Amino acid sequence: MTGRLDAFWAVFAREIRGATRNRTYLLLTAALTLVVFGLARAGNGPSAGYIPTVVDVLLVVEVLVPAVAFAVGYRSITDDAIRGTLDVLATYPLPPWAYVVGVYAGRAVALLSVVLVPLLILGAVVAASAAPATTVFASHRGVDSPLLFVRFLVLTATFALTTLAIAVAVSALADSRRRAILLALVGLLVVVVGADVTVLRALSGGLVDADLGTLLGVSPASAYRGLVFETVLYVAFSERAGFVSVPAAVTGLLGWSVGSLLVATLAVRGRQATVGLLEWLRA
Amino acid sequence: MTDAYLHATEVGRTFGDVTALADVSVEIPGGSVVALIGPNGSGKTTLLRILSGLLSPTDGEVTYDGPSATRPLGYLPQAPTFRPGYTTAETATFYARLVDDDPIELLERVGLGAVPDRRVEALSGGMTRLLGIAQALAGDPPVLALDEPASGLDPVMSRRVFDIVETLADDGHAVVVTSHDLPLVERAADRVVVLDRGSVVASDTPAALRERTGGPLHETFANLVDVGDAVSVRTEATR
Repeated sequence: MTGRLDAFWAVFAREIRGATRNRTYLLLTAALTLVVFGLARAGNGPSAGYIPTVVDVLLVVEVLVPAVAFAVGYRSITDDAIRGTLDVLATYPLPPWAYVVGVYAGRAVALLSVVLVPLLILGAVVAASAAPATTVFASHRGVDSPLLFVRFLVLTATFALTTLAIAVAVSALADSRRRAILLALVGLLVVVVGADVTVLRALSGGLVDADLGTLLGVSPASAYRGLVFETVLYVAFSERAGFVSVPAAVTGLLGWSVGSLLVATLAVRGRQATVGLLEWLRA
Repeated sequence: MTDAYLHATEVGRTFGDVTALADVSVEIPGGSVVALIGPNGSGKTTLLRILSGLLSPTDGEVTYDGPSATRPLGYLPQAPTFRPGYTTAETATFYARLVDDDPIELLERVGLGAVPDRRVEALSGGMTRLLGIAQALAGDPPVLALDEPASGLDPVMSRRVFDIVETLADDGHAVVVTSHDLPLVERAADRVVVLDRGSVVASDTPAALRERTGGPLHETFANLVDVGDAVSVRTEATR
């Protein structure tokens, strides 16, 4: 008898196999590489060091990473629903959570490849072209370091995974490809600007009584931007940046990820409508 | 024929103001084929989905009394579609892995053993249906629910599909199938349930139903359902 973990691996393997054959991902990687290298070259960051390079690309990465995440994930579950695969899978010992996490994990591997490969190459170019001082590991403010760029990569990967979780949730809620596109656009707008605007309006309107640094942690883009400022770009400031509360930002990104996957799981469970017989059979 | 694996008791289903099924009771015994026939919109697919556990009844209940199994029920949708870009073997492997089954054996059982490397989008309609049946067989579920497995297929492929259905019943499976192909239903089914406007209007063996009119099943069918509803059903006379 197979376990639920085996079922998860089956779904994960299917997603990985699909990703390896999808040439669109190669195209996305090439496009992202062109954009980040174009920006970094324009800002002359690579010859100056890791921190200037991060400053050059941060704004665009903040917008492009969610866009790529939504491109990778917006049809991940919708297609299975349209094809009737979800109905078929409801007759297998595959719990909705294992299906959702399997799909998410498989797409996450594809997404991280698309996002991190261009940035890793950029980091290698910085290592090859920047001044020797950048090769040391920073132990105090004002010193550039590869470690800071690694932090930037980790934060970018985390932001990508969070937006992918939102995209998967959107995909689980859409009942047609057209609706999936519309919901993905709405989701992308919410991630990129909507959440920021909502937080700022709530503060300016006096709707909430909290400090800006904590509230911005609720917005995925602000949380990511704030964490980059607090843990990567801080070396360029003499004082703490105070852009965002680090615990609030980490909690925000984690909350969006877990919450979105929970929404996706509930949506799949609702679609399969496995109320009654199958639940009884699996009890 | 053995005891019933699946029982539907006074099952009803409404969609808003529309009653799709009302007070339907059927049993699906092991080692037999039960065919659900009726005009389009008579509730066949709704009943099959309720029997499969994919749709909750608004009234009544469905219970499973078959043997304990990893996957108690296999389901073939009306128009099985598979993720493009994958071969038949890769598709079968995915489903087989979910229940620790052998994908090659599944393909061989439905006659697709010779085309493991063919992309699913390159399969004919009949072969896609056979791949769907292979999927339904994964894990060797005691009950098989097949929604119009021969719909849109040529006569040779339709016969092949129903041959598989008969073999499955001979192997002890409880098979419930919806179909418009009355000659094949008459040949393969041990019991025929005739639905019209969401209700069971007859339920008996093909032979017993034939006796009602003395002619083939399609004549009995035409007598049981409203004439206007019956035109959608493929009968011997129109083939």
